[in-house]
Amino acid sequence: MSKEGAIEYLEGKGITKLTTVANQQELDRNKNLEYYKDIFYQCGKCGTCRTAYQEEGWFRMCPSGDFGKFEAFYLGGKNLLTWAISSETLKWTEKLANIFYQCSLCLACTQQCQIPEIHNFAGEWLMAMREEAVKLGFGPMPEQAKYSEHVMKENNPYMEKHAERLNWLPSHIKQTPDAKLAYFVGCTSSYREQGVAIATAEILNSLQIDFRILKEEKCCSSPVYMTGQAEKAKKIAEKNVKAYKDAGIEKIITSCAGCYRTWKETYPNKFGIEHGIEIVHLPELLLDKLSSGELKINDNKTPMKITYHDPCHIGRHMGIYEQPREVLRKIPGIELIEMDRNRHNAWCCGSGGGVRSAFNELSSFAANERIEEAKETTAEAIISCCPFCLNQFKNNIKNNEIQALDLSELVKRVL
Amino acid sequence: MINHEVVSELENIVGEKYVSDEPEITYLYHYDFVTAEPEGKCDIAIMPNSAEEVQEIIKIANKYKIPVVPWVSGINFGSIATPRRGGIVIDMRRMNRILEVNEDDMYVVIEGGVTWADLQGFLNRNHPDLMAGVTYSPPGTGVVPSCLCYGMFNLGMLGGTGAEFVNGIEAVLGSGDLVRVGSCSLSDYWYGRQPLPDLAGLFIGWEGTTGVVTKMAIKLWPKLPYRTDFLPIAQTVEEGVPLMLKLSKAGLGIIDLCVINLGWGQSLMCLDQNNVANDPVELGLPDFLGLISTQAYTEKQHIAQCEAIRDICKEFNLDPLTIKEQMESFPENIQGLMGDLTPSTGGQAPIQFWGCWNFSRGGGGQWIGSYVSTRNIIKYYNLSREICLKYNKPPQFYSRLLFGGHYCVARTNINFNKNDPEDIKTARKILNEIHEATQQLDGVVMYKPPLWAVQYYKDKTNPDTTKLIENIKKLVDPNNIMNPGQGIGGD
Repeated sequence: MSKEGAIEYLEGKGITKLTTVANQQELDRNKNLEYYKDIFYQCGKCGTCRTAYQEEGWFRMCPSGDFGKFEAFYLGGKNLLTWAISSETLKWTEKLANIFYQCSLCLACTQQCQIPEIHNFAGEWLMAMREEAVKLGFGPMPEQAKYSEHVMKENNPYMEKHAERLNWLPSHIKQTPDAKLAYFVGCTSSYREQGVAIATAEILNSLQIDFRILKEEKCCSSPVYMTGQAEKAKKIAEKNVKAYKDAGIEKIITSCAGCYRTWKETYPNKFGIEHGIEIVHLPELLLDKLSSGELKINDNKTPMKITYHDPCHIGRHMGIYEQPREVLRKIPGIELIEMDRNRHNAWCCGSGGGVRSAFNELSSFAANERIEEAKETTAEAIISCCPFCLNQFKNNIKNNEIQALDLSELVKRVL
Repeated sequence: MINHEVVSELENIVGEKYVSDEPEITYLYHYDFVTAEPEGKCDIAIMPNSAEEVQEIIKIANKYKIPVVPWVSGINFGSIATPRRGGIVIDMRRMNRILEVNEDDMYVVIEGGVTWADLQGFLNRNHPDLMAGVTYSPPGTGVVPSCLCYGMFNLGMLGGTGAEFVNGIEAVLGSGDLVRVGSCSLSDYWYGRQPLPDLAGLFIGWEGTTGVVTKMAIKLWPKLPYRTDFLPIAQTVEEGVPLMLKLSKAGLGIIDLCVINLGWGQSLMCLDQNNVANDPVELGLPDFLGLISTQAYTEKQHIAQCEAIRDICKEFNLDPLTIKEQMESFPENIQGLMGDLTPSTGGQAPIQFWGCWNFSRGGGGQWIGSYVSTRNIIKYYNLSREICLKYNKPPQFYSRLLFGGHYCVARTNINFNKNDPEDIKTARKILNEIHEATQQLDGVVMYKPPLWAVQYYKDKTNPDTTKLIENIKKLVDPNNIMNPGQGIGGD
């Protein structure tokens, strides 16, 4: 059996399961620290989490550790600090909280660890530590608290007004008032990367898919939840679900990796909200429509070399790796060149987990490393399927050395 | 005395970001989180970026008489990077640059904080025809400490221990002097330790008690195009070892020869010790696995070498199957993991495998690892096996033949739950008993020894040799700041 064959992606999750390892402990997800307390100390801080395990290049994997340098910033250090907290060897401090928040929760580290319970569940206690920090008043970080307050008032973390959420919507976009399908735009596409929203809506129109955008749409709660504020996030989730259920929505298309993960994974599995709405990420829809022939692509007049960046929230968190690539391969003239670190080994763009708002230097470090890696491929553009990644790249690319585009924007060009 | 003044002086050297006396940072340097050895205490952790910065740190440590412990990953089975007397831990991992690869003379010059992953990745990307020997240790462990502590590589049959791979060293002594040893001390070339007095011995085997190694050159080897890895299996270790001893003296392009018992094999497969037989022998399971790796420059040469290896296996009535062929008879759920062992089964080579202490699913592991005369492998195994079984622990044994069969290493791993004080006590008891029992065999000397074993050897060593070691230590580290409490020198 090859190594690839030994890795199994868990259904609905990008997190892999080591099928080679017998006698794995069966554990649940989304539990508290107490539940996982016998796993943390299995870590020997061996450092396997820092580099791509058994890959030719042994590439570095952890933005938090590579930036923070000290052991504490790598998964091994965080595991053992969690053990120290759960065994009351160390006490909660601001510094400790700060260490745990200096992490984009990209989970690249967990993919490298070969201790099965850590490989499969470390992401759970990294989240549980944040929730604990919030309970004890050490979290979230001030900047995260500020945007979270704004989310509670104005339904977005960008300090914008809710009333202006649909300002991006051009008049030529056709919506169907009683459609059962909704396009959940998300905050970043509504306020910052409006090109993604427009391209997505135009693609839906050209596919003649009946859809609507609800004016009641609110932040999905991802930036609140990922910073450990589960209770607040749940309240937002409940409001969102009620609005969509009340409107008779049966299916949601998202163009945002974070919104997708939150609706599909966090709402039902963390918050226990069984909304029953089918959640589809745009690349899944595009691939489906390309395969069925409903989506027609024109001859691409301008050949382009591109590279694909796997957003953590759809990749490692949800297991969507191949669909965007297959869409890209079906576009004539597009040459996809992979970066060395791809799929479950992709280097995070550094914007998630509240890092961009609270730890700008770390965030830029991660983004710049990814941009350099993309440039090394000689690609003209980095393509992603997440407006937050896109915005992060755009903010960090200097002198137009490389373009950053969302898959929706690229596809729109060739319709 | 450690106070804010010291921290502030250290910050002036490396910058605020890279010094910490905060418990959330220093906690992770107190002990190595793997062994059953007691913890120490790190007062300050610091990450220098150059040899000059290391020199400045050592000056401050001398000024205040503060202990200094050089550190890369902090895990080794003797816990020799644990700060026994507090002080400053110098985490070397910012110094992780690979400075030069000399393809003609086949060596690489690296900084003191380079890990196996750093080195292997660099060579794979930039010099795919060359290879460094690599240990069974995890990829995050350090190359320099591995070499300095007689670590073993998967090229052991070619080059011996890691110490014998060392071509030259740059180090900051405990006195603060920056020295170079080997050809690099008088030229830009790091091709060897000859012909001046070989001062590499000031650092090899000293467990960081003489200085901080800031650069090192280690030998590289050609990665030849033809390679096969055999895995003969026998019912008992007694049946398998004679084959390996014969092969060790047969040439045949053999670069690595390992004796593995089933317990070790199971730990490599990350099986949970609660679900495996403590004593496979009693159940009639084969206890001996022999790993034989051979490489060649031409196909014709390789075919001849493999045929000779097969013939020798047959002389000992063992089936000369390759790893790939053996894998096919293994349960599917362990094929992939074993497949990572060698390139001929689709894995990366050389391997860096983690999982041994995962065996007990308690995160703890420690070994009795010794250099041994090859004639004592079987006796060593049987002694340690008996003790493990007495305490209801599965025997995990491994022996590697080194340097053309001139000597070997033998190790017994003990796993335990590091959250269970009773299990830790039992592990300590087993380690002590195995150590005591195996010392009765002539020529058995433990490497990477923890403090209790160092004391044993001190009592046993020729008194004039002990005196010489103490005098050297005083000369290079007059204030005894370098990793004190490990028992080395007059400590």
